[in-house]
Amino acid sequence: MSTTWKWIIGVIVVILVVWGLSSDGKPTLPEGSGPLKVGVILPLTGDAGVYGEAMRNVTDIAFEKINKEGGVLGRELAPVYEDGKCNGKDAVSAAQKLVNVDKVQVIVGGFCSGESLAALPIATQAKVFMISGGSSSPDLTGASDFFARVVPSDAVQGQVLAKVAYEQNNWKNIAFIQEQTDYAVGLYKSFSSTFEGLGGKINKEEFQTQTSDFRSLLSKLKASSPDALFLDTQSSTSAERIIKQLQELSWSPKILVSDAIVVDADFLKKYAKVFEGALGAEFGVDYTNQSFQSLKSAYISKFKVSDMPYPSYTSTQYDAVYIVKSGIEKVGYDGVKLAKWSRELSGWQGVSGSISIEKTGDRSSGHSPRVVKDGVSTLLK
Amino acid sequence: MEYLIHIAILAVIYGILGIGLNLVVGFTGLLSVTHAAFFGIGAYATGILLTNHIADFWGSLGLGMLIAAVLALIIGLVLSRFRDDYYALASFGFNTIVFALFLNLQDITRGPLGIPGIPRPEILGYSFGENFSFLILALIFLAAVYFFSKWLTESSFGRVLKAVREDERAAQVFGYNTFYFKLAIFSTAAALAAIAGSLFASYITFIDPSTFTLHESMFILAVIIFGGLASLRGSIVGAVALILLPEILRFVGFPAEIAAQMRQVVYGLVLVLLMLYRPRGFFGEYKF
Amino acid sequence: MDILPQVLVNGLIAGSLYALVALGFNLAYGATKFFNLAHGALSVVGGYTALAVLRDLGWGLGWAIVIGILMSAGIGWLLDKFIYLPLRKRKASNMVLLVASLGAFTAIQAIIAILFTSQFQTLLAGESKIIDLFGYAVVTGVQLSAFVTVAVVGLGLYLILKFTRFGKAVRAVSDDGEVARIVGIQTDKIVGTVFLIASGLAGLAGILIGFDTGLEPTMGMSLLLKGVIASIVGGIGNVYCGIAGAFLLGIIENLGVWQFSGEWKDAIAFGLLIIFLLFRPKGIFKN
Repeated sequence: MSTTWKWIIGVIVVILVVWGLSSDGKPTLPEGSGPLKVGVILPLTGDAGVYGEAMRNVTDIAFEKINKEGGVLGRELAPVYEDGKCNGKDAVSAAQKLVNVDKVQVIVGGFCSGESLAALPIATQAKVFMISGGSSSPDLTGASDFFARVVPSDAVQGQVLAKVAYEQNNWKNIAFIQEQTDYAVGLYKSFSSTFEGLGGKINKEEFQTQTSDFRSLLSKLKASSPDALFLDTQSSTSAERIIKQLQELSWSPKILVSDAIVVDADFLKKYAKVFEGALGAEFGVDYTNQSFQSLKSAYISKFKVSDMPYPSYTSTQYDAVYIVKSGIEKVGYDGVKLAKWSRELSGWQGVSGSISIEKTGDRSSGHSPRVVKDGVSTLLK
Repeated sequence: MEYLIHIAILAVIYGILGIGLNLVVGFTGLLSVTHAAFFGIGAYATGILLTNHIADFWGSLGLGMLIAAVLALIIGLVLSRFRDDYYALASFGFNTIVFALFLNLQDITRGPLGIPGIPRPEILGYSFGENFSFLILALIFLAAVYFFSKWLTESSFGRVLKAVREDERAAQVFGYNTFYFKLAIFSTAAALAAIAGSLFASYITFIDPSTFTLHESMFILAVIIFGGLASLRGSIVGAVALILLPEILRFVGFPAEIAAQMRQVVYGLVLVLLMLYRPRGFFGEYKF
Repeated sequence: MDILPQVLVNGLIAGSLYALVALGFNLAYGATKFFNLAHGALSVVGGYTALAVLRDLGWGLGWAIVIGILMSAGIGWLLDKFIYLPLRKRKASNMVLLVASLGAFTAIQAIIAILFTSQFQTLLAGESKIIDLFGYAVVTGVQLSAFVTVAVVGLGLYLILKFTRFGKAVRAVSDDGEVARIVGIQTDKIVGTVFLIASGLAGLAGILIGFDTGLEPTMGMSLLLKGVIASIVGGIGNVYCGIAGAFLLGIIENLGVWQFSGEWKDAIAFGLLIIFLLFRPKGIFKN
């Protein structure tokens, strides 16, 4: 192939691509009758794919229900899913596409804090409202007027757990096994600053996400004879490996867990013996509340599973979508107006309870301590 | 249009990465799989210095290039003793070690928390906040890197590199200290990668260690193999192609949950087919 | 100091899994002289095939293991026949083969992720039996079996390579493929069979890991790299030295975790590789 031909082919390819991409991006007609697009950024693949999958399912349920009930302002609400892969670069590409090609005015996302942090500047610059159902990094507090979240900041979780562990359970010396992700590090920081401030001692070991062999790590922590072991993992995958290896090393310490674990009901049941008396912190999802129960049964029947996974996250993700619906009803399909409106949200009743959003965009609601009894997480005191 | 500008910026950044790596792999014949480490150093230099207001973009760029070059010298001292597959393996090792440094030295890099809020570059009061202006800036850098590399490879220095690639023993017999040449080009390529890193950090405004893994190094390698080894033009074409591919796939009706995996399958197949039928790549001259 | 025995035992456990991977890798390297990165993916194939047999077909453990090994052996053989052999025929350099194997690895791993999702799965249904070693350390039944397997496989390979005609042919090909061909040995067929065996071993390693620490589609690369480090540390090309290298690697990794901290584990493993490449590229044993 001669050089000239290669260039010609290259140029043709580029032209085709540009044409293909641009003809896809017909501007949405806010004053029309077509569906209103809502961008959704989730970690559909990658390490956090297990969350992304569950969140997409629950998001589907929310949109379907909204549309079955008549939509918003007489129009349907249509989700546009993009894969953020739980990392900054892909979240940016996702946000870019949603904002510039699909021309959405609102995005439900990111889920991972890394996704939200990276996508924020794009949404902010384009005046698109972003609401997250899962990003809990303290770095997001007050990060942008166009960002709000239905989950509280991690800063609270650690404090609550530390106080309860030290003062109520009398655990003065804690071994910490922490996965190297932003969520787990954030939790460690908030826990340790309170715990060590109270006079407690922490012995910490970190591990990379793909690690499968924790034996020597655990042997080392076991040798320090701690009062309890804090399982600070991103998901139940690493936690499960660690627990198995705990059992193999014949070590049955008292356990503390991150909220990613304490909300995983199946997991708690599976290892009920290990988790007996374990401490966790969850922000107040009241599982007896009616709307939660209906969401759960809808999920179970639609996806043919035995239980809805990660219930506190699915609740917040579902609420995020419904908040978007409320917002559009009240102030219209406009990013600036939605962002302003979100700050005034107070006492909005959702599946995850009563939601109020502060000026910083954070949800104002604390984590409540929970203790595991017989494989079930129950409210402490 | 904004979206296309975004894609173009990414392609330019990876084009710079590709050119740098090509100098080492395509022109000198050293299978280096640790380029992402230097990419990361540039990114972190800019990220850390800009968010702590220690330096401006240009200062961080220069510092990033310097650190990358120096680190490359150290790593290169070890790597340059090896050949072929051993070189590749040892480079895997270095990438892993540098990644561990990014992840574990949390006091400096904030580890997995990453560095958010990295500002765009500013020159004489003009801020490159608009993506289009950033694209122009990036293109200027690409042009600079391209012409520098062109000059380098067409000079007598470049000829020695190709000699090392074809037959290192023979080059030594002719009196060239091939060790120093290998070291020099490795260090130069690292500095170029740092440029891409600084641009990346400033553009995406958020960086974390997960971008600078062995996986990423392999992606950059795939870019230049596809585009053609020892072809500077090829590196740019390869970058455009491999950046466009996943974006095009967004529009294809793949179910979202397997889209990324399908892309991996395609990459893998492309590599295999390329090796079988056109190991020199699209534009390449060097059949390794 | 009192956890040193457990740390050492942990090292041996890790080492036995690395050893299985290294055995296969070394065997293939000896015959073909290139680094086959796809080896790691074959472990994943073996593990997941066993999972599919156990979970979806509902057949027993024995079948799961056998079919798992056969599947990985088969795919390894196909890789050789359709990719590596044609490349070797064209006198492709080692780097080309390495890159091709990288492509194969990427594709296989992604296909497994599509078929089985990225979720973590484990082969072991319940808890593993815990065995107390005279009060010094603990291992599980699965880990002990892994150790025994390595011994048995190692011995079996030794016997095959030393005493059978096939084994002699393999050694001849490993020494010098060209000469072997001239002497009349069907080099290509021998290499194909070597790939079959090596890949089967990789699959076996994957299955054992599936029982011990569980399966993830992305586990292939890290496993392979450990196997490669073990092979180089032990002595590349020599099948048994790879085993020694694997145990050394396992022990040093665990000692490192014990003395420093967990987050540097991978860096330590690669640091070991680089040290050996620098000072003892032929491996610990002065061959």
